[in-house]
Amino acid sequence: MVHVNSALLAGHALGQDDALDAADQEHLASCSHCRAELDQYRRVVTLGQGTQASETPTPPLDRIWRSIQAELAPTSATEGIAATKTMVADSVPPVTANDSPASDVPGGDEAENDKPVSVVAASDETTDAGGEKPIAGRRRKWWPIVAAAAALGLVVGAGATVIINRNDVQVAASTALSALPGHTGHGTAELLRTPNDPELRVSVDGPQPADPPSYREVWLINSDGQRMYSLGVLPESGTGTYPLPTLLANGLDGFTIVDVSIEPYDGNPAHSRNSQVRGSLPE
Amino acid sequence: MRARRVDWRNASDSDLAAGFADGDDSCLEESFKRWGSLIYTIAYRALDSSSEAEDVTQQVFVGAWQGRTSYQESKGSLPGWLLGIARHRIADRQRARARDLKVVRAATSQANVKVESQPLVTLIDRLVLVEEIQRLPHPRGTILRMAFWEGQSYSQIAERLQLPLGTVKSHARRALRQLRVRLEEVTSWST
Repeated sequence: MVHVNSALLAGHALGQDDALDAADQEHLASCSHCRAELDQYRRVVTLGQGTQASETPTPPLDRIWRSIQAELAPTSATEGIAATKTMVADSVPPVTANDSPASDVPGGDEAENDKPVSVVAASDETTDAGGEKPIAGRRRKWWPIVAAAAALGLVVGAGATVIINRNDVQVAASTALSALPGHTGHGTAELLRTPNDPELRVSVDGPQPADPPSYREVWLINSDGQRMYSLGVLPESGTGTYPLPTLLANGLDGFTIVDVSIEPYDGNPAHSRNSQVRGSLPE
Repeated sequence: MRARRVDWRNASDSDLAAGFADGDDSCLEESFKRWGSLIYTIAYRALDSSSEAEDVTQQVFVGAWQGRTSYQESKGSLPGWLLGIARHRIADRQRARARDLKVVRAATSQANVKVESQPLVTLIDRLVLVEEIQRLPHPRGTILRMAFWEGQSYSQIAERLQLPLGTVKSHARRALRQLRVRLEEVTSWST
């Protein structure tokens, strides 16, 4: 049996009307081999025709590559990819693109600057939170696992459960806090294990709205979306440390979402439903 | 660590994969150059967030490098493997996002949600294809783009490109076959 020429099948799949003559059509009707080949071409054509113009931004490849290098940088002399550390950097000025302040835009879904420091583990230089941006030359940048609704500007850093020792205070978990739509600012929340009670240290870098007069309040929201604890008022400095309810001492029991709300001076103890930043601690 | 530094720029995907699995770190860089953009693009289109796309891309290459000893060429190409990892990372995020949206909606009613409807596997196939079409050399790529996206007939294409009709047909056929093979090769891990 003589199969239909592949060129003709391809032409047919591309919608070239004159590709197949009557004999070819007849053969095709009875030959599963040729039909299978045609189907494969058709699949390519269908996929290809359905996808065209892409609004994808130019990938920030240099920055991503530096992050990869940083993450794979050796923690001891025997592992990692030390030899490659400067490969890209050789051709690129050593300016960290991360320092760009461009994304501090209300409602922006990027929150690029809002998401460093998920886990501070293994970083000897103690960052005192504060939504600190990655610093040029710093060896480790922690790009958190951001499992978040970008449409909401919600960035949930799933920090690891690595426990590190910071004097006698251990950071058991941490997360980046990111601005919600219509808000700016970012920060970090760290779950601290102390010799006494567990504490949550929250640090928000970003303006407190001045008009109308308001203050900020820190909340722990349960992942069931139904329950929340108010931990207290966030000082105007943007940094506060809050003892946790005792029952949360050995596990957050679902109260993993750290939320900072903007509260009017109305004496109403309920959440204003107007949140500035938010993040999520690992369970 | 290899002391010897090989120029991988012209290496085949297969040789590159072997070097990668062997722990030659310059293969990691070359792989990133070849497929970093593709993976970022897929992640971006799937997640609609440049920061998440960056994170996914980083995770894919870090994860692949750390897990390089588990790569087996018999199971698929290196880009296919990378795409398979990407697919999992993206799917993780989509699941987490769906979960978080529920939570946030319930907690504060601030939701204004965009729903991702295109199945991830289809999306990956599509974007792999677009990437491959863009990589086709002239005139093959041009011919295919005209036939695919502009709906031109072979004779129109031949006229516009000043090429013999037979040449246009043969390029279109080869291009289509090439894409078909590439798609299978690259997406075999993702299925």
